[in-house]
Amino acid sequence: MQTKNIRNFSIIAHIDHGKSTIADRLIEYTGTLSKREMEAQVLDSMDLERERGITIKAQTVRLDYQGADGQMYELNLIDTPGHVDFTYEVSRSLAACEGALLVVDAAQGVEAQTLANVYMALENELEIIPVINKIDLPSAEPEMVKKEIEDVIGLDTSDAVMASAKSGIGIKEILDKVVEKVPSPAGDPEKPLKALIFDSNFDSYKGVIAHIRVIDGCIKPGMTLKMMATGKSFEVTDIGCFRPAPVIMPELYAGQVGFIAGSLKNVKDVRVGDTVTNAEAPAAEALPGYRGVNPMVYCGLYPIDSADYDNLKDALEKLQLNDAALMFEPETSTALGFGYRCGFLGLLHMDVIQERLEREYNLKLITTAPSVIYHVYKTNGEMIKIDNPSNLPPTTEIDHIDEPYVKATVIVPNDYVGAVMEISQEKRGEFKNMDYLDVNRVMITYYIPLNEIIYDYFDRLKSSTRGYASLDYELVDYRQSKLVKLDVLLNGEAVDALSTIVHIDRAAMRGRQLAAKLKGIIPQQMFEIPIQAAIGNKVIARETVRAMRKDVLAKCYGGDISRKRKLLEKQKEGKKRMKSVGSVEVPQEAFMAILKID
Amino acid sequence: MQIGLYVHIPFCRQKCFYCDFASAAGTVLLQQAYVKALCREIEQAGKQYAGESIHTVYIGGGTPTALPETLLQEILEKLQHSFVLSEVVEFTVEANPGTVTKEKLMLLKTLGVNRLSFGVQSFDDGLLKKIGRIHTSDDALAAIAEARAAGFSNISMDLMYGLPGQTMEMLQESVKTALSQKVEHISIYGLQIEEQTEFFRRQERGELDLPSDELVDAMYEYMTKALPAAGYGRYEISNFARDGFMSRHNMSYWQDKAYIGLGASAHSYYGNERFFNVAETSDYINRLMAGESPAEVEEESTRDILMEEFCFLALRTSQGIDTVAFLQKFGCGIDSVYGSKLSRLQKKGLIVQNQQYLNLTELGMKYGNVVFAEFILEK
Repeated sequence: MQTKNIRNFSIIAHIDHGKSTIADRLIEYTGTLSKREMEAQVLDSMDLERERGITIKAQTVRLDYQGADGQMYELNLIDTPGHVDFTYEVSRSLAACEGALLVVDAAQGVEAQTLANVYMALENELEIIPVINKIDLPSAEPEMVKKEIEDVIGLDTSDAVMASAKSGIGIKEILDKVVEKVPSPAGDPEKPLKALIFDSNFDSYKGVIAHIRVIDGCIKPGMTLKMMATGKSFEVTDIGCFRPAPVIMPELYAGQVGFIAGSLKNVKDVRVGDTVTNAEAPAAEALPGYRGVNPMVYCGLYPIDSADYDNLKDALEKLQLNDAALMFEPETSTALGFGYRCGFLGLLHMDVIQERLEREYNLKLITTAPSVIYHVYKTNGEMIKIDNPSNLPPTTEIDHIDEPYVKATVIVPNDYVGAVMEISQEKRGEFKNMDYLDVNRVMITYYIPLNEIIYDYFDRLKSSTRGYASLDYELVDYRQSKLVKLDVLLNGEAVDALSTIVHIDRAAMRGRQLAAKLKGIIPQQMFEIPIQAAIGNKVIARETVRAMRKDVLAKCYGGDISRKRKLLEKQKEGKKRMKSVGSVEVPQEAFMAILKID
Repeated sequence: MQIGLYVHIPFCRQKCFYCDFASAAGTVLLQQAYVKALCREIEQAGKQYAGESIHTVYIGGGTPTALPETLLQEILEKLQHSFVLSEVVEFTVEANPGTVTKEKLMLLKTLGVNRLSFGVQSFDDGLLKKIGRIHTSDDALAAIAEARAAGFSNISMDLMYGLPGQTMEMLQESVKTALSQKVEHISIYGLQIEEQTEFFRRQERGELDLPSDELVDAMYEYMTKALPAAGYGRYEISNFARDGFMSRHNMSYWQDKAYIGLGASAHSYYGNERFFNVAETSDYINRLMAGESPAEVEEESTRDILMEEFCFLALRTSQGIDTVAFLQKFGCGIDSVYGSKLSRLQKKGLIVQNQQYLNLTELGMKYGNVVFAEFILEK
């Protein structure tokens, strides 16, 4: 295949706008997989992904297509992760392409997330092909959506593809547009090798498999390659492409997309964004845009049954094989015992990992409330980074604390502008900008502490806009804030895992709300439990969980033991998810209570 | 082996509003048919367990004394003929104060019964009526006096608390009257609303004026202090007795001893197996008359189940779990099965260790179910 007949493209779409369905149809239409094979093998493979309708791992597939000119084309579809947490991964996937389909739901219009990705694609100088999907929905307004795309993004939509992936409408048009509009790769197979890693996965036989786009040069088995950022060298044993199952190929050359594998055992050696070159004849400089992984959100994960500690470690290690962004290190809590402090790209990433640990590894976990990274400047001039509130030094040693701020972009119908502003102000947001996307929809920009975003910002945004709001955020800077540590005492003992860092103006209210919330969550026990919220030595709120009523089975009717047993079994069922914290049994949800107040 | 014998009589004059046990009024004809079937089962069991030494007999219900004298006599004589009862140390019959007569009591005494258990529940007439009892406070006092006159020197009475409309004063008054009778044994039962009872239906309709949780707890505290203060030792969660008068038959339930249940819905524990008879009276009669076994098939007791039951049943008694007996029975120490749980329960002040025994503390008794549930093993 000549380079001029290669097209590399990805799909940009908001959750639910039909990205996966379009990808499935393209695979089907080009005959890459039959319909029957499709069912067994689809792009979003994890159960969790299918349930949530999001893509966590990007997947890639090569399609063969005979264009309108009668020539054969090699189309590489590079799927992108579909969530705000994976912005960097999206940017690397886009960097591997020359074009992108912008899929917009004909009934929903452009969303904040889509917008962020389109801007990223434009920065990467991708050719963008607008596709209006779901045009056969009764509520579809394709003309309005086209106008919106023109107004907001400034794209010409006169030849946008009208499609309905579900009904198979517009699939051929999409393929023809890709051939016609997306530029062929510009690389030179004769130059020193430069290939971009845009994803990786772990295979128990082959080790780490790097997903790459060859920019310049050529890769053949037996070559010794080098990662330019991590410095790792290795010998390539397998080369191939995805259709979507891996297929071995003799080589990959400039412009092509595929995978390489060799003596790579550690996923940390294969970093998304890194450049692969020939160890013997290296390229002069790496491709631009490499960035290390920086978790934004941290939380503690503790096994409910301390005997599961090693199982948790094993599970985290296994997940990390396929997820270089997941960080973890051992941590000890006086309340919860031994566990791990884990770093995530964002809240969704955290959610997904927790769910996989519980579902796939059958672990019962206690999760502490997420925290951001604070920069704590001590009076002795030292700056320490704190991602666990319980590690905050005593107030006397703190000069000041900086916290991360994000630029939050919210798109809503104009009826809800007031609600969005109210919530954002309440969350210590600083108003930045407001634009009309069309007569109905408004884009609002705020600078907000990330700490407030991870509390319940998005949930509240959704509930007060009847689900219409879409949100995107990116880190902007660190700013000094008046922050204090809010502690919780159960039965007189401080529970480190319940400590949080809050703004001083909200501390008193948060303390009261948290104590009240905990009162509702902690079940009655055999003694009275005082719940106190405190800042330093000052108790700012107090609630009491009263002792439970007596609980004995009195009569034993003529030796009927099975009846007693059944009652006891039921009783045991009811109290599975509890962790003993000192003398108090605390349900799992108590540790997330701070997120559910207001 | 010493075993206990339980005989069930599923008849009552009237069903109490809180009762979900196998019992019904029943016509004389049905009672006759039942006794015929029961006697058949007694005879078969007598052969089946011929080598066993019967240690205790307990006739319960329902209301055994609801049966006419002739039928009671038939059952008792059948027991005498089918089993060797010479080693029986305790022979109890449950009685409703509204169904005993001098003649019935004399008959029981003559046929070997040496202990009576009266379902008194309360000495407040208004309350008795409200819970569906057929007798008055005076009936109860008269029944106890007649039992004494008939020569019974071991009498128990049941008292209930937490009843609809019951106040602390009413309870204290009843306890005072009960103590004045100087019976040998007192059982206390907190009201539990079970499905398929009159009270359950009333509660569903919101028509049941149950005392508050706090009041019920206070009643419990009061009784568990007042009875020991009057010389009744608490030898089991709900049972109090003067020295030497604890119910040996009931203790066999808690102490992992074998017992054979005869009659509709009666439960047995024999050779590490638990099994029970069909609950419906008519089914029971039909099966026996057709020459079939009245026993229902129950899932086998696994080793785990046996260990769980050994523990949570023994904990009900003041003696507690005999850890040496546990080791002998199961061939492993109790620590190897429940180690971390035991130390947690001890730390919480729910159980204590006294030499080879593990007992509930006072707090542990109050929250018995919470402790017992800890002994249920993961499946």
